[in-house]
Amino acid sequence: MDPFIQFLTDNATERTVAKNAFIFTEGRVDQNIYFIKSGAVRVFLQTEFEEMTIRFGYANNIIASLSSFINDTPSEFYMQAIRSTTMSVISKAQFLEFTSASPDRLNWYIQLLQGLVTQQMEREIDLLTPSPSERLQRVLARSPQLFQEIPSKYIASYLRMTPETLSRIRRSMNP
Amino acid sequence: MKIAAHTLISDLTARTEKASETVRAYRGLTEEQLNAKQNPESWSMLECLEHLNLYGDFYLPELEKRILTAKPATSATFKSGVIGNYFAGLMLPKATGMKKMKSPKDKNPANSGLSVATIDRFLKQQEHLLRLLSLASKADLTKTKCAISISRLIKLRLGDTFRFYVYHIERHVAQAERTKTGLGKTA
Repeated sequence: MDPFIQFLTDNATERTVAKNAFIFTEGRVDQNIYFIKSGAVRVFLQTEFEEMTIRFGYANNIIASLSSFINDTPSEFYMQAIRSTTMSVISKAQFLEFTSASPDRLNWYIQLLQGLVTQQMEREIDLLTPSPSERLQRVLARSPQLFQEIPSKYIASYLRMTPETLSRIRRSMNP
Repeated sequence: MKIAAHTLISDLTARTEKASETVRAYRGLTEEQLNAKQNPESWSMLECLEHLNLYGDFYLPELEKRILTAKPATSATFKSGVIGNYFAGLMLPKATGMKKMKSPKDKNPANSGLSVATIDRFLKQQEHLLRLLSLASKADLTKTKCAISISRLIKLRLGDTFRFYVYHIERHVAQAERTKTGLGKTA
């Protein structure tokens, strides 16, 4: 079995949150690592004008308030359950205990971070892509199950377009 | 009315900082408390804040736009306009109890599914407002005109728009405070 999954089975706290409940909120330090077992979550930034969804988490994703986790600073983001979600939760101390136990573990962590950095760059290109339909194509290529898992209003926010524009693009893609 | 521009800016800044301080304390309350209504027609604390947020969505970009294109002040005094002074006066919470006023339909927050994120949205808008007040110290508060949300035909002096906007915030924060005080006392 995947050593990380085994570690979670042995050490994690199970947590279930209801639809729309917050897992972490802006302004509080949250250094937990969340492994989603079932359900779906979104991470968003609350600006003065709107909620901006920046990330989704599905089953088998690892998710955290990254800057808070790394720097011990208050979270800039909210994580909210899109539907009832069950997670395995470990603390930063537990996570670091796992990753520092052996060179293999450290390698696993390095791979994880490399994957994360790659995802961030993909995301940066997403946001700089001028064509809304192309932005949608890029995300669908990464997550074909997107529309089955996530309500379209959050997808529109993630793609930086209005829900109306998203509807129009989807209709033109599926005449 | 006439007032030294820098005195007006200081006063409005102080009121804004006070409102932020009051609302910052709401972060400690539960979602249930924040959504509690004293009666079906009255607003919960979050509804009071979201109402203010909806006004901010219009006024903050408008104020910013006018300040960035404003001419520098030629006088150190701000002179109120008749209409602006009237609107500003309407908004002030009065010690003798406030008149009930109907809100415009598009600024009615009732039943819009609010959460603790509404508080952070409000606080961020106040931070933006404080930046604008600081920038406004260089602009001509009397000669610069601002559009208002309820009519395309009326423009107010920048100084009056700030007064109207800040007093309106005070009014509804006071309303939220009354709701907070009343928590747990209704049947």
